Amino acid sequence: MVEKARESCLLCQIVANRVPSYKIYEDDLTLAILDINGSNPGHCFVIPKNHYPIIEQVPDDELAILFTVANKISSAIFENLKAPGTNIFVANGVPAGQTVAHFMINVMPRKENDGVNLQWKTRQLTEEEMSTVELKLKESIKGAGIEKIEKTQKPKITTHEKAATELIADDEDNYFMRQMRRIP
Amino acid sequence: MPEQLSQEQIKALQEKIKNMSPEELKEFQKKQCIFCQIISGKVQSKKVYEDGDAIAILDVNPANPGHMLIMPKEHYSIMPQMPDDEIGHIFMVAKALSNASLRALEVQGSNIIVANGVAAGQRAQHFMAHLIPRKENDGIEFQIPQKNISEEELQNIRTMLSKSLGTKAEEAKGKISPVSITPKGKRVVEAEFEENKESIKAKSKTKREVKNQKAKEEAKEQKKREIRENINLDDIAKVLGVK
Repeated sequence: MVEKARESCLLCQIVANRVPSYKIYEDDLTLAILDINGSNPGHCFVIPKNHYPIIEQVPDDELAILFTVANKISSAIFENLKAPGTNIFVANGVPAGQTVAHFMINVMPRKENDGVNLQWKTRQLTEEEMSTVELKLKESIKGAGIEKIEKTQKPKITTHEKAATELIADDEDNYFMRQMRRIP
Repeated sequence: MPEQLSQEQIKALQEKIKNMSPEELKEFQKKQCIFCQIISGKVQSKKVYEDGDAIAILDVNPANPGHMLIMPKEHYSIMPQMPDDEIGHIFMVAKALSNASLRALEVQGSNIIVANGVAAGQRAQHFMAHLIPRKENDGIEFQIPQKNISEEELQNIRTMLSKSLGTKAEEAKGKISPVSITPKGKRVVEAEFEENKESIKAKSKTKREVKNQKAKEEAKEQKKREIRENINLDDIAKVLGVK
């Protein structure tokens, strides 16, 4: 079953180097490639090397590394591509817009009026509806035995170790400081 | 949060902010931050999950019922400020809550969205991951356009980013075929297919190579057929251990 999925999965083919791609990051568990038809230049996919269709299947330790890598790429996009913003976007399941049966994190450089729209119309739920949802979710979490998730140690990136802080230059005028100086 | 400030007040504030150290800035932001007040319990909210480092509350203006905001208890305004272990933790919580919403709310998927910076749609000054439960035809239409990016530009970006990341990723050998797989990328899957054929013609490969390529293409066709089947509700349900 897994083998079959791998053979028909384009991303698994990329992982196996059978299909060429613009790789920007690779370690033992993770691969990041450029989307050649990205929403903006620099749009990347961060994927696990193992084949997992949806996020619920990705083991916690791998998931932590994937998002840590996504964050490092996002930092690198800020610094190197001078993007004023980035989005981290995951589509999990077909109704959410997932088109490939291999879990992926989209890291997208953003600028004003770039044609990307990740906004939504807000709904007004009644107090009762909100409370029902709250209760259902709480029960479901208890049922799944996840009342408390322990924060694990720093995710160990197997072949690559570079803190996000190292990527951020100690520059007075970098995006990091500008962000903090925004008037609330 | 201050309601309306006069020009002079804004100017004075800007001046004050400019002279603050990063630590002072963080302290200043914390005081202004509505989410820090929610976390400390000064402002009421509907908490669905809480542990020592993270909290998840229902968004009061949800995109869909069950729309959650997952936040670190510590104040960070954007994701690059966060330590690796906190990032890992936030998304483990997101995964668990996605799982919980699939089970509890009869939805068939979820989106996880982070916005870093105003240009990306960030509104709150406290880092958060949005978790939006999704159903077919729920009226949410994200737009992620697909742009044609030149080979030269891709190569430049690749070099810049991989250098910055200190990656061991190797330079690609051979022609890169389009592997665009953005959400909403069904059209591109088709286009990619056509272009693949083109590149094969252009390269005038040996018969064997063409045969291999054909087999690959067939595998891809098969994959396309399987995509929908692969990630339907049954699959998700199976993974979640529900019928």
